[in-house]
Amino acid sequence: MKKKFVSIIALLLVILIASTTFVGCGSKNSEEKGNAESAGKSQVLTFAQTAEIPSLDPQLQNSMQSFEVTNAIFEGLVRLHDGKVQPGMAEKWDISSDGKTYTFHLRDAKWSDGQPVTAYDFEYGIRRLLDPKTGSAYAFAGYGILNGYEYNTGKVTDVSKLGVKALDEKTLEIKLANPAAYFLGYLSLPCFMPTREDIVEKYGNNFALEAENNVYNGPFILKEWKHESGVTLEKNPDYWNKDAIKLDKVNILQITDPNTALSMYENGELDFVSIPNTLWDKYKDNPKTKLIMNGAIDWLRLNLNAPGKPWLANKDFRKALNYAINREEYVNTATKGLYLPYTRLVLPMVVGAKGGKYTEESPIDIYPTTGDSAKAKEYLAKAMAALNIKDPKDITLELKFSDSAADKALAEVLQDQLTRNLGITVTIKLVTYKQKLADDTAKQYDAVYNGWMPDYDDPMTYLELFESNNSQNSTGWSNAEYDKLIEAARTEVDPVKRQQYFWDAEKILVDEAPFVPLQCRRLGYLEKDNLKGMSRYFVGSDIDFVFAYFE
Amino acid sequence: MGRYILKRFIVSLFTVLVLVTTVFILIRLMPGDPFVSEKMTPEIKANMMAYYGFDKPLYVQYFHYIGNLLRGDLGLSLKYSNRSVNTILAQTFPVSADLGIRSIILATILGLFLGVMAALNNGKFFDYFCVFIAIVGVSVPDFINGSLLQYIFGLKLKLFPIARWEGFRYTILPVFALSLYTLAVITRTMRASMLEVINQDYIMTAQAKGLSQWQIITRHQIRNAILPIVTILGPITAGILTGTFVIEQIYAIPGMGRFYVSGINDLDYSMILGMTVFYGVFLVAANFIVDIIYGLVDPRIRISGK
Repeated sequence: MKKKFVSIIALLLVILIASTTFVGCGSKNSEEKGNAESAGKSQVLTFAQTAEIPSLDPQLQNSMQSFEVTNAIFEGLVRLHDGKVQPGMAEKWDISSDGKTYTFHLRDAKWSDGQPVTAYDFEYGIRRLLDPKTGSAYAFAGYGILNGYEYNTGKVTDVSKLGVKALDEKTLEIKLANPAAYFLGYLSLPCFMPTREDIVEKYGNNFALEAENNVYNGPFILKEWKHESGVTLEKNPDYWNKDAIKLDKVNILQITDPNTALSMYENGELDFVSIPNTLWDKYKDNPKTKLIMNGAIDWLRLNLNAPGKPWLANKDFRKALNYAINREEYVNTATKGLYLPYTRLVLPMVVGAKGGKYTEESPIDIYPTTGDSAKAKEYLAKAMAALNIKDPKDITLELKFSDSAADKALAEVLQDQLTRNLGITVTIKLVTYKQKLADDTAKQYDAVYNGWMPDYDDPMTYLELFESNNSQNSTGWSNAEYDKLIEAARTEVDPVKRQQYFWDAEKILVDEAPFVPLQCRRLGYLEKDNLKGMSRYFVGSDIDFVFAYFE
Repeated sequence: MGRYILKRFIVSLFTVLVLVTTVFILIRLMPGDPFVSEKMTPEIKANMMAYYGFDKPLYVQYFHYIGNLLRGDLGLSLKYSNRSVNTILAQTFPVSADLGIRSIILATILGLFLGVMAALNNGKFFDYFCVFIAIVGVSVPDFINGSLLQYIFGLKLKLFPIARWEGFRYTILPVFALSLYTLAVITRTMRASMLEVINQDYIMTAQAKGLSQWQIITRHQIRNAILPIVTILGPITAGILTGTFVIEQIYAIPGMGRFYVSGINDLDYSMILGMTVFYGVFLVAANFIVDIIYGLVDPRIRISGK
């Protein structure tokens, strides 16, 4: 009896083996056909993202993966392409003379369920973004809107006081707290996308969690979302500007391992791919390798109030740190020349008031990128004299980095340079990424490695970080003149005057050095030769494939 | 036996409760919080904390969580806005289980075969070959053999797809890569066990009885030698299921392995707890089943187990 039972189990096992091993054979043919089709001249774009898309809810999303998709399946009042503001759902707009009131006139456009896109959808979306109950991580983007901050923090509870109003179906009025030239481009951020109140209410907590749980108004429609596997977008036949859209279909695969993605590209399965930073050395001389600056700038933030370390409050010491680092050598050693050495705060690509780039129109050249060890020692001596310190070894500095291999490499080069050029005692502390951020906020560090991705194309996105009352400014550095200049720039309408304020402010900041700017992050990538019209830009969606096509 | 099972069931439930409580406390002690990020402001964090109920005292959150857990609700992921941990597990576990089961089956069948053959050819070439495979399988980590197989058979020879999980052809490389370690362990265990059995008196008896070589191998040698394999199958299952992370990452397989690591990196409290509960229950159940199978294979245990 027992024996029979065992043999039945054995038999079941065999059946299980057979079934699990051969399941899926049937789908083989159809797959191959699909691959063959996409290999032809059809306009199908395939690329990889490194992580599951955390959210496609316009107001809840907070990541590049989300931005790249949202930018294609929705359209805001305007569209930002290659850094230029183009009309989107708004056909035209008027700006009041004080620069604070924007009136948008919407075109006739449809949602993917056939309903018209109205000003009320925009009003609802922005209200939802700023509603504290939504719990949106990106709510800060709406703080420039009149009473946006107050409503999000519960200081104003009457939503009608918020500076967003649909005047009728086709007219939307947005009032700002201060004039802001960058505001138009800012409106292309996903959190300002129109959102349908009836759809949000219909799906409740499941809103936008699956492809069919939302409606779309962008150049593409989200056709399928296979979680942890990828998304499929299809051209929207009702899009107002559909003739400008050449791609029929976009497959965005989720490939976590960058080396796997690279292999797939080499195998012809992807149309473009990022080069893993660890492989930069191998690809940097490849003529096909392309290089972009993705907008991130990294620095060491210095804690002026670090307990028991009075030298951090000394300006000369902070300047000595800035002079002591040979940033050229640092990026070449730690990143094989991938990153761009940098010694100021505002990124090189930010647009200027006179039609050029802000950093070219307003140059700052205090610290050479190759460092200056003589000057470094001079400033260190000054600081030591002021602090009455005899031996530089008595000066200790802990560099706090996150515990990734890449960060560790950066930290070690900096440690070596600072020890060598200044003779001070430098230690490295590696913590988890989350702990690093938490310690940063809690001001528990001497020097913490940190960076910033810009939200809009304007020096303000960087410079306001060091205002005394900015929650990002954990350095304890406070400068009345700096605060005054940033505040003045905030309300100034004349772009040239405004830029002068920024320039003066940045000069103070770099000279006072509550931080040690290190590098602009760059990213290498490969792209098929016949793929045209891709836009890689440092603000908004890094990868903008909306107008891409194959030749 | 019935009472014994009931008793073990209650103990298992208690084990899971202790596990959940410990993890619940431990993750709250980890530095940082789920919402901390470069752009977070204190005001927005307060809104998010309130949204997820983290503004309440910890004990309230704990009882709230346990209450939801008893209803089978693992809560909302903090990283994947509004997606419930239940949904994520329901979407990803079948894939991981598929990968894992295929690997266990492949490893068991191939491992038993190699182990038996090695023992029967003790000291000959085939034995050394099997020992070599076993050493390679145990000592080379998954991320090396996974990448290597992908590079050779996917990119260079183009025999199999490089990555993704779209059909049978896509499963071969990851299943093989994942099974290598287990295969090696089973081969070694089976070989050692067989060698021991071969020298037992009852084998000589069987030979004296005039049984054919085949009958001796299948009925007496393998049947007796397989017991240690059944014993290690429990931990092996656990090893495979927890080891899927690396293979899933290399082959871009939409399984649950990644949430193991990413949940902790993101401090996604509900995800970490959900994974803990899920694996906890799973492992307790797996051990339980192994105990029962053990009883079926070895009559001595069946009797004393009463």
